Amino acid sequence: MASGNPKQEAAGLVFSIQHFCLQDGPGIRSLVFFKGCPLRCVWCQNPESWKPIPELGFKKHLCTNCRTCISVCPEGAIVSPGQIRSEKCRQCFACTDACPSGALIRFGKPLSVKEIREELMPEYPFYQNSGGGVTFSGGEPTLYPEFAAHLAGSLKRDGIHLAIETCGLFHADPDTLSASGTITKKDTAQTAHPETAGRLLTLADLVLFDIKLFHPEAHRQFCGTDNRMILDNLAMLARRYHQKGGPLIWPRMPVIPGITDTPENLEGWGSLLAELRLNRLTLVPFHHLGEAKREWLQLEPGPCIHTLTGESMEKTLRVLTKIGISCFAPGEEDWPEYISS
Amino acid sequence: MNAQQNQALAARMEEEQIPETGPAYREPTDRIAAIKGDLFASPCSLCLERPILLQRFPKTAQGRLGKKDHPLVKRAKALAFLMSERQPRIYDNELIIGNMTSKRTAANYYPEGGSINILEDLFRLEKRQIPINLTFPEKIELVRVGLAGLFSSIGGRALLKPGRFVHFLDFFRAKRYFITEEAGIGHQVGGYYNVVHQGLQHPDQIAGTCLETNALPDGTPLNRDQVAFYQSIRITIRGIRTMATNLADLAEKMAYQPGMSDKRRQELLASADACRHVPYYPARTFLEGLQSCWIVHVAMNLEDFEQGMSFGRLDRILLPLYQKDLEQKSITRETATEIMASFQLKTCETLPVYSERIDQYFSGNGVAQGITIGGTDENGNDTTNELSGLILDAYAQIRTREPALHVRVHEKTPSWFLDNAVATVQLGCGKPSFFSDKAVVAALTQAGMSTEHARDFAVIGCVEMASQGRTYNSSDAALFNLPLCLELALNQGICYGRRHFGGRMGAMTRPVEQMQSFEDVADAFRIQVEHAVAEMVKVIGWLEETYRIWRPTPVNSMVTEGCLAKGRDVTWGGALYDLTSIQVAGLADAGDSLYAIKQLVFEQKRFTLKELLHILKTDYRDHPALQQELLHQFPRYGNGIPDIDRMTQLAADIFSDAIIAHRNSRGGRYIPGIYSMTCHIAFGRLTGALPNGRGSGKRLSNGLSPADGADRKGPTAVLRSAASLDSRKWANCCALNLKFDRKTVSGNAGRKALAGLFTTYFSQGGMQVQANVLDAEMLRAARNNPAEHPGIVVRVAGYCAYFHDLQPSVQDEIIERTAHGLG
Ligand code: SF4
Ligand code: SF4
Repeated sequence: MASGNPKQEAAGLVFSIQHFCLQDGPGIRSLVFFKGCPLRCVWCQNPESWKPIPELGFKKHLCTNCRTCISVCPEGAIVSPGQIRSEKCRQCFACTDACPSGALIRFGKPLSVKEIREELMPEYPFYQNSGGGVTFSGGEPTLYPEFAAHLAGSLKRDGIHLAIETCGLFHADPDTLSASGTITKKDTAQTAHPETAGRLLTLADLVLFDIKLFHPEAHRQFCGTDNRMILDNLAMLARRYHQKGGPLIWPRMPVIPGITDTPENLEGWGSLLAELRLNRLTLVPFHHLGEAKREWLQLEPGPCIHTLTGESMEKTLRVLTKIGISCFAPGEEDWPEYISS
Repeated sequence: MNAQQNQALAARMEEEQIPETGPAYREPTDRIAAIKGDLFASPCSLCLERPILLQRFPKTAQGRLGKKDHPLVKRAKALAFLMSERQPRIYDNELIIGNMTSKRTAANYYPEGGSINILEDLFRLEKRQIPINLTFPEKIELVRVGLAGLFSSIGGRALLKPGRFVHFLDFFRAKRYFITEEAGIGHQVGGYYNVVHQGLQHPDQIAGTCLETNALPDGTPLNRDQVAFYQSIRITIRGIRTMATNLADLAEKMAYQPGMSDKRRQELLASADACRHVPYYPARTFLEGLQSCWIVHVAMNLEDFEQGMSFGRLDRILLPLYQKDLEQKSITRETATEIMASFQLKTCETLPVYSERIDQYFSGNGVAQGITIGGTDENGNDTTNELSGLILDAYAQIRTREPALHVRVHEKTPSWFLDNAVATVQLGCGKPSFFSDKAVVAALTQAGMSTEHARDFAVIGCVEMASQGRTYNSSDAALFNLPLCLELALNQGICYGRRHFGGRMGAMTRPVEQMQSFEDVADAFRIQVEHAVAEMVKVIGWLEETYRIWRPTPVNSMVTEGCLAKGRDVTWGGALYDLTSIQVAGLADAGDSLYAIKQLVFEQKRFTLKELLHILKTDYRDHPALQQELLHQFPRYGNGIPDIDRMTQLAADIFSDAIIAHRNSRGGRYIPGIYSMTCHIAFGRLTGALPNGRGSGKRLSNGLSPADGADRKGPTAVLRSAASLDSRKWANCCALNLKFDRKTVSGNAGRKALAGLFTTYFSQGGMQVQANVLDAEMLRAARNNPAEHPGIVVRVAGYCAYFHDLQPSVQDEIIERTAHGLG
């Protein structure tokens, strides 16, 4: 099951490939979402990306109650539409294939480099005419360092601009993770060895580096792990960018009311970014849009988080601008300046 | 100048022009805001001045004398009478004058066309979706006018004849096709370059000389019809001149009214001066150029009917005058933009009038008075200029449903212009639409135009095509229900539901039991299409005959190349390029259905054709899961899958070939167009279940768009599918609509993305595209009525999704967000 295991990396577990994305790097892009994430941020908008294994989802509002799923399941695992007994389910996905309305869906499918490239290739002209490209997202792409590097290499050979979005955690011991109680060992893929992850990242033109909470304890509380390695990685990548011409590092932060937008957190990150000479930050506003997905996966609803107001957003901007950080809305970054320089 | 210098100059011009088309010009001036306010404050109405004058004319001394006149002369005299006798009206603040009707915003009434159908709504005029305000005496007058014109409508004259009754019914039922030409031909891009720069004195002189010498310009002696033609030209020009003079007189009178401000007096006197000069003489200034176009446009509207009367490439036509005025410092960029905005607001004075029954075929499409900008000259050199941007800026000031704006795009289209055009799309008015020079020119040359003339194309109305000033294109002659032909093909020419009056509607094709292969099905489909097209062409032929006698169009003929050389009205085949165009609805539905038949019956062998026919006749009642599967899981057109798109190509080819095979009675070609106004809704109601899962009565796919909900991979995949189709036969173009929520395509990134979408689509062979940017209200409508609003792309937390795929709670959040402009 551990798709992170290098030997099984002929395919990467991908839960979605989306075209016409405008927020994750410059121009028109396709996003390849890898499945599996070492963090468990409480506000996560893509909970289907958490587990590095294929999963079943159920979109209740699409179900027509035809009961096809019940009749095709070889294990008798489906009690009634949408009610699946996970201990019986063997993940054969006969039900998702048969569901006529698209209510039962499969998250995660192992895809080969060739398959992904075939899906992306027809989009190349759109990238070229808009200064866009491909972004690896997730989940965490560095969970599949060999595979992702292989795919990245083939895209680079095609002359495609490549961005990688990462949570920054690409070397951690799974045991420490499970100790936090948020993630069980079964769920967690092995995180990448720094060298393989490093190789993957050097292939990228742009690294979208997600930062969340500055204080290690707060990070553990809201994201499930300590953030020391993330901080180290950020510093390492910044160094590489400045010294050896490594990929452009672009930090991004989700603005979660009352969690990431506290003055201490903003100031902490702001000073670090300034110190690392990464004086730019994309602020990704919080939405409640991930909640529906939790329902699809039959997960507990996330904690109640307030809606982001214009006022608090302005406050956030003020704090960061004061420290000398230029802030951007997703998709509104001034990429050209960095790309041409 | 050598090439290098040329390039340097172009680069400099481009640099200089970027700041010139900025937001500074896009905020309405006080004058423009005031005119717009007045227009919107006046309720929509119906103007009866035209029919009353036309009905009065035969009773006047002149009319009585002319009873035995040639039909061309008779018509010209009536039109001249109408133009001279109608009341001129000038409204506050406007810089371009000339009233379209007797009211501020009203529909003209065309008794000889289809206007009579408004009587169907007589008792609920105010309660219609688009209310019409009439006083009680006006209503009585409406009934009188309507009844007086009852038997003089073109449709009545053409079809209420022995032996044509079945066609009359077919025509009225509008199931297989809907013949729009009954209402009028309209749809023209006159030769406004010549109108502006030569004036109507030019055709007047030609007509004069021909009459004097009694010979055509090439020396051939005139026959009786040709004499009448040249007379009709001269008579009509006199009428237009009188109309212009009446306006000038009124302007002057108003200028000297007590209390008139000095500034307004100067403006009125300038208008008076302009109207004494144009359109008869060549325009001397930018303002006169637009004034000239406007008066001829009003004449065109009075003569035929309002639909699709377009101006052509105004950026090219007016450039010399604009430059001259700038040099002489008589205008500035700002004042020119204001004049242009005032001109564009004039187009909002008119609207179409249909009964609500007819409205389901054409609702919301307005009149579509097209302005085309950008593109190339005869030799393929870019002609985009400062006016191209100015026209967009002027529109940004007004943001109204008229005029229609069309942007031509080619490889050398300057980026500042594309940027400005896309910024205009972001305003959310669905304008401009974009056309690929490459694809359009290829199709027009295939339809018989010279390359030079094809390169001078301008858009008629919404998407239709003409080489400006050289074409008579009955560009919206009829709309065609393609999926219905598949229904008929599977059922021996009989509709599934109720039996057609008189039995069989279509051709007698063989029963499904005898169809052994997919090719047999395709053949039956082809036969049904050909049969329906032939029937339709027959009816259109009768209408054409009737037009020649009862509704010739001298104004149109004086602005269309060929007529004055041949001594023939456009309705008599005078135009250099003569075309009749038929538009198709339900193309993607037909393509997907062919694919589904092939898969289900002949490849997967899950059903026999007979079983499938039964499933369709019973509207999937006993097979809901199959219907779901077809709708949600089956491959469909619009996802960039070549195998499926090929079936849509097959359907398009069967339709196009059936159309192209015919000639109209003027000797012109038939050409196909791939768009459907809102006909796909009305046709859908009359069409049974389709093999692609679409239920009975549901609306059909429109234009080149995928069937409702069939596109699952976003706009790039839709564009890939659309671009992969061969458009060379579609000389009347196609329409592809993309829909986004505002947030998805806002800001710089959105602008760049849209420009990237369009240029890629065109570089891959695409022909036409337009993007609608929806506001919160439209999204609300989509949430409440998902079936009516498929395919809206919205941004959800960083990626794009289809609105109808989202859970209601998420939809609400997106609506909230759009309403409040939150990120
Ligand atoms: S995945 Fe297979 S075993 Fe699991 S519920 Fe679906 S059909 Fe049954
Ligand atoms: S097959 Fe799909 S639509 Fe049918 S009951 Fe199961 S989940 Fe619902």
